Amino acid sequence: MTQPERGVTPLPQAKRRRRSPLPSILGGGALLGLAAFLAFGSLGQSLEYFKTPSEYQLEQSTLAGKPLRLGGLAQAAEYDPQTLNLSFQLTDGSVTYPVQYTGAVSDMFQEGQGVVVRGRFSESAQGADPGVFQADELIVKHSEEYKVPETQAEIDQLRDLLESAE
Amino acid sequence: MLSWYSLSFSQSPLALLGQLSLLLALLFGLGGLWQAVVAGRTGDPRPAQSAAHAIAAVFGFVTISVGALLAAMIGSDFSVRYVAEHSMASSPLWIKITGLWGALEGSIMLWLWLLSLYAVILTRTACKDSLRPWVFSAMLFNLLFFIGVCATIASPFTPLATIPTDGAGPNPALQNHWMMAVHPVLLYLGFVGLAVPFAYAVAALITGRLSDHWVSAVRRWTLVAWGFLTLGIVSGGWWSYETLGWGGYWAWDPVENASFIPWLLATAFLHSIQIQERRGQMRGWNVWLIVLAYASTVLGTFLNRSGIVQSVHAFAGGPVGGVFFGFLAVLLLGGIALAAWRAPRLRDSGEPPHALSREGAFLAGNWLFVVFAFMVLLGTLFPTLIEAVQGHRDTSVGPPFYNAFAVPLGLGLLLLMGIGPLLPWRRAEGQSLWRALRPLLIAGGVAALIGLAAGLRHPGVLATLALCAYNLAGLAGLTWRHLQERRAAGLGGGLSTVFASQPRRYGAYLAHIGLVMLALGVVFSTVYRQDQQATLNLNQQASLLHEQLELTGTRSVNRSDGHSLIADIRIDGQPYEARMNFYQQAGSMAFPAPAVRYGLWGDTYLVVSAFDEGGQWVSVRLVESPLIAWIWLGTAVMMLGTGLSLVSPRRPRLQEAVSSLPHAAAATD
Repeated sequence: MTQPERGVTPLPQAKRRRRSPLPSILGGGALLGLAAFLAFGSLGQSLEYFKTPSEYQLEQSTLAGKPLRLGGLAQAAEYDPQTLNLSFQLTDGSVTYPVQYTGAVSDMFQEGQGVVVRGRFSESAQGADPGVFQADELIVKHSEEYKVPETQAEIDQLRDLLESAE
Repeated sequence: MLSWYSLSFSQSPLALLGQLSLLLALLFGLGGLWQAVVAGRTGDPRPAQSAAHAIAAVFGFVTISVGALLAAMIGSDFSVRYVAEHSMASSPLWIKITGLWGALEGSIMLWLWLLSLYAVILTRTACKDSLRPWVFSAMLFNLLFFIGVCATIASPFTPLATIPTDGAGPNPALQNHWMMAVHPVLLYLGFVGLAVPFAYAVAALITGRLSDHWVSAVRRWTLVAWGFLTLGIVSGGWWSYETLGWGGYWAWDPVENASFIPWLLATAFLHSIQIQERRGQMRGWNVWLIVLAYASTVLGTFLNRSGIVQSVHAFAGGPVGGVFFGFLAVLLLGGIALAAWRAPRLRDSGEPPHALSREGAFLAGNWLFVVFAFMVLLGTLFPTLIEAVQGHRDTSVGPPFYNAFAVPLGLGLLLLMGIGPLLPWRRAEGQSLWRALRPLLIAGGVAALIGLAAGLRHPGVLATLALCAYNLAGLAGLTWRHLQERRAAGLGGGLSTVFASQPRRYGAYLAHIGLVMLALGVVFSTVYRQDQQATLNLNQQASLLHEQLELTGTRSVNRSDGHSLIADIRIDGQPYEARMNFYQQAGSMAFPAPAVRYGLWGDTYLVVSAFDEGGQWVSVRLVESPLIAWIWLGTAVMMLGTGLSLVSPRRPRLQEAVSSLPHAAAATD
C-alpha cells in the first residue's frame, strides 16, 4: 500500500518458518502458574475484608482470626498520652466491639469520630464473644457528618462514608 | 458535544483564550492527521511536511492554552473554573504554578502539552523514511484524543455561575513538599514518552516494514521515556518517604502499581528490542510489548481517574474515566487488529533463541517482567473483580500478596541480569560459559558467607547479597576483559576511554550497578527497618531504639497559607526539627513533615504524631532504616547509565577495530 521512497530498497520479507510457539507458551504458562501459586497461596492472609461491627457479627465464624478492616464510630475513648495506649468502643449503632491500639493519637480523635481500624480479634476469644479487636493501624476519618446510625439505611450510609474515604 | 463545549463570550478573557486555543489545536490536529494519512498512502513527502507543520501549530496552541491557565493560576483569576476550584490567592507562587497538575483537568492538560512537545521534537528528528507519515498519524491520533478530552469533558475553562472571592485552594497533601512540583512532571514525561515507540510500532505495522529499522529508531526514545518513568516512580517514593510520616516509600497502592506496570513492560521492551536489532527475532513480541506498555499508561490514568479502585492518590471521578476506558479499548483492539493483519510478516528470521545465549537470557528476563506486570495488575484489579462478582466492595489486597511473587521474581531478574551480559549472542559453549560464570558464583558465595559471618540470617537478604556481588563481579570481569583486549590490540587508554568507545554498553553496565544498589537498599531497609513510638516530656531523656531522645521545646510558626507546629528534639545530641503543617483549607487536619537525617548506612527518621497544647510533651515515632539512601543513590547511578547509553560512540573506527578481535564479538553489547 505504500510506495517505497527513492533510494530505499524494500527489505526482503522474512522467511516463512514453521516454528512451534509451544515451548514459549509452556514456559510462560509455567511461570505464570508458579507466580499465581505463590501469590494466591498467601492471598488468604493478604486479602483484607472491610466490615462494620454488625457485619462482623454475622460472619464471625468465617472471619475469626483473619486480618480485617473494621469501620465504625468511636465511643468511650480512653487514651493515655504517656503510654500511648488507646482503648475505645467501635460501634455502628447496633453492634459494639472494644478496640485496643498502641500509638500516638492526635487531638482530632474525639467521641463520635468515624474510624477504620486494621488488625484482628485477639486469638483468646471463645464462642460468641470475639474478645478485643487488636488494631495495628488506626485511620481516622475526618468528617462533620458522623452520628450514631439508628436505621439500616443510616448504617449503610455510614459504611459508604467510611469506606469511600480511603 | 456542543452541550459540553460551552464557549461563552461572557467568560473571562483568559478562559476564552485557553478554550479558543484548544479549539484551534483541534482543527490543526485534524488537518495534520489528514495530511499525514495522505502522505502515508501516496509516499509524497510534501503532505508529510504539512503534517509536521500542523504538529508544530498544535504544540503552539496547546502551549498558549496551558499558558493561559497558568497565567490565571498565578494571577488568581477565579473566573476560571479550574483556578476557582483548585487554587487560592494566599498560596505561595510555586504552589500556584504546580497547582496546574494538582487536579484532574490540569493534569490532563500537562499530559497533552508534553505529548505535543514530544511530537514536535519527533518532527525535527525523525528520519525521512516511509514510517514517518504514519508515525505522525499515530501521534496526531493520540493528540486529538487528549485535545478532545481537555476541550470538552475535562475542560478547565468552563464558565462559572458565580465567581468566588477566593478559590477553594489546592489539595494540602500536594503542597506539603516541593517534590510534588517535580514528581508528576517526571512521571508524565515517562508515560507520554512511551507514545513515541508506540507510534513507531503502529507505523511499522501499517507499512508492513517490520524488519528491524523501527526498533533502532525507537531505542533512544524508549530509553528517554524509561529514564523519566524510573525517576518519576522513585521521586514519588521519595515524596512518600518525606511526607507521609510512616518512614516507607512504597505501599503497593493501586496508583503506584499503575506506574510500575508500564515500567516493567518498558524495561522488558528495552531488552527485547536488542534481540531484534541483533538477531532479527522477537518481531511480534516487540510489537505486542510496546502496545501493552503504552496501553498500560492509559490504563493507569483510567484507574486513577475513574474511581474504580480505591487509592490515596485517586482524583474524583466523573465522565473522564469512561472516556479513558474507551481510548484504552481503541488502543488495544486497534493494536490487536493491526498485529493480526500483519501476522505473516511478524515471523522471525533464523533459529529461535537458544537457551544458553544472550537472547535466551533476555527472553527469560522478558517473561519474568511480563509475569511480574500481570501479577501486579491482577492484585490491583482483584478488589474490583470481587466487587463485580459480589456487588459490593469489601476486600483489599495487602502487601503480602505482592511480596509473595515480587521477591522470587526480583531475585530471578537479578540472576538473569548477571548472566545476560556474560553470554554471547546466538549460542554459548557449555565449557567456556562455566569458566566465565565461575568468578561470579565465587563472588556470590563469598558475599553470602560474609553476610552470614556478619550475623545476617534472613534468607532473602543473603540471596540478594549474593546475587548483587555476583552481578558486580560479572560487570567488573567484562570491563577488565575489554581493557585487556584493547591493550592487546595496542589501543591504550583507561576506563574513561573504554566508556567513550562503547557508551551504550557501559551505560547499560552502569544502569545495572545502579539497580544492584537499589535492590540492596530496598531489601535492607525493608527487612531491618526498626520503628518505635513514645511520648517525650519536655527536657526529659527518653530511650528509643538505642538512641537518647530529648524534647527541648515546641513552637508555632505562621505561614501565608497556614501554620506549623515545630518540635525541637535532640537525638544523641543532634538537633532535629520535626514539624506538623496545618493548612487554611484543611482546618485542623495535620500534615506531618518528618525530620530526616540521611546517612549512607542508614537514615534516622523522626515524625511527630501528637502535640500537647501546653507544649509539655509530644508523641513521636522514630524509624531507622538501614541503606535506604541506596535507593536514591542507585537511581542516580541508573540515570547516569541511561544518559551514557544515549551518547553516540566517540570514535567509531576504534570500536570497529576492537569488535573485529576474536573474543570481542561475545563481549560487545
